[in-house]
Amino acid sequence: MQRSLLLPSQSRRQFLTGVGGLGLTGLLGAPAWSGTDESVVFPFVNGDRNLVKSFPQKGAMVLQRSRPPLLETPFEVFDQGIFTPNDRFYVRWHLANIPNVVDPRTFRLNVRGHVKQSISFTLDDLVRKFKPVEIAAVNQCSGNSRGFFAPRVAGGQWANGAMGNALWRGVSLKALLARAGVRADAQQVRFNGLDTGILPQTPDFVKSLDVDHALDGEVMVAYAMNGKPLPLLNGYPLRLVVPGWYATYWVKMLDDIEVLDKSDDNFWMTRAYLVPDTPLADIVPGQQGVKLIPINRMVPRSFFTNVKDQAKFKVGEATTVRGIAFGGDTGLAKVLFSADAGSHWQEARLGHDHGKYSFRQWTVELRPTSMGPQILMVKAFNTAGASQPDRANWNGSGFMRNVVESVSVQSV
Amino acid sequence: MLKRVRFMSLVSVLFSVAMLSLACGVVWWSSARADSAPGKQNGASRQWAIVRVELPASDESFPPGVGADIATSQCLICHSAGMVLTQPSLKKDEWRAEIVKMRTAYGAPIPEDQVAGLAEYLTNINGRQ
Repeated sequence: MQRSLLLPSQSRRQFLTGVGGLGLTGLLGAPAWSGTDESVVFPFVNGDRNLVKSFPQKGAMVLQRSRPPLLETPFEVFDQGIFTPNDRFYVRWHLANIPNVVDPRTFRLNVRGHVKQSISFTLDDLVRKFKPVEIAAVNQCSGNSRGFFAPRVAGGQWANGAMGNALWRGVSLKALLARAGVRADAQQVRFNGLDTGILPQTPDFVKSLDVDHALDGEVMVAYAMNGKPLPLLNGYPLRLVVPGWYATYWVKMLDDIEVLDKSDDNFWMTRAYLVPDTPLADIVPGQQGVKLIPINRMVPRSFFTNVKDQAKFKVGEATTVRGIAFGGDTGLAKVLFSADAGSHWQEARLGHDHGKYSFRQWTVELRPTSMGPQILMVKAFNTAGASQPDRANWNGSGFMRNVVESVSVQSV
Repeated sequence: MLKRVRFMSLVSVLFSVAMLSLACGVVWWSSARADSAPGKQNGASRQWAIVRVELPASDESFPPGVGADIATSQCLICHSAGMVLTQPSLKKDEWRAEIVKMRTAYGAPIPEDQVAGLAEYLTNINGRQ
């Protein structure tokens, strides 16, 4: 791995020429708005969206907002594999000053604050001076599926595609922090990226983890995603990976790690991304006086990927119904499938296990016995015993939706 | 299923290629074209390329109406109109709450005497009773 850095650059060029098309030349561009190719209609009011190919290093994506970009992964992508391709991976930025050029010659990752010595790492340092670690993990927006909330709530009106699964490769945060030497009374570790707000008074987007979490050996600084550099819109050159936690913590274009000797009181930790301190962050609309805490661990979810509403099945004929599931903050234990709106459940067959934080495929054979409408349901259970609720959880920010998914189909 | 099997075979082939490249010492993750000067300088590494992109401009705009000028001059400072136009229909006090959040939390310079007019406009274009 490290050895490769010593090779003449000629080898690399030959390799790149050899495999063809790996160069970014053809992917960049998008000098102007190139219009829409198609559109999608999400099944909620005001759910019409354009499908665009105009964003750099991205294929067809559902346009939620141009600036700063909110791009949703079209759901059929999740049927094509357990790992979400980089060029279809969803995009979510808070602040509109996103550098459109990243120069690795000058880029530095700084580790500072409550440490024995501040250190500044080049990208080379990260690759060369640390043992690489790899983990397959789902990155899911806190507000994924917000558009389905009833009653509706303000915010990015995502359907179910504000998530993705990738094989992340990089450096363990624990190893990185060890070089700087975290002081004994450190409380939290704060992460900042290169993006900033347009207005100086807009709070810079920073997120913090408790020091014990930061040192758990799983949190990492990723420099590769599915074997390639991260697309700029997914955080090139470095992104924090917090397995099992919502994506708000996965700071993009990470360039600053600050160890704090107190709990972080910044806006993005104390006023934004808060959820009711109740199971599944669930409250009754209008409920007052609820204690709020920073959003944290993900909850289990499962989805159909090859069956849409109003799909038709032939009576007596077997069809493979499949989808994806994940356990949230721990591994997936099982996936149950129902062909009769939840009256009876059967265990689905699970595909290859890429690790406890990854998507996993599930499949069942469906052979309808009589004609008529049918409601199919799928429900994931994780190894800690948590499962998806039959009734949708609700909160005013539209976070953490994980209700059992269902599709209405016809047997003919 | 066949499609799935094909996909997995493709993945394993790509993975093998990647592993082979590693064994040969090829920097496999270098998919970015290096438009920097060749060689190593000032801490730059051979496998990292300058990435330069252009983000498309938004073609979304606020529909005409009384107060559209406020929305255009204020909201678009930080985000495109799509953020507003894709929202569910909100009541006037809900739109007002969003405007207040933009002012107090994010520092939007919306003059106080324009808040009511903006809430009125947003309710007119995307509101409910």
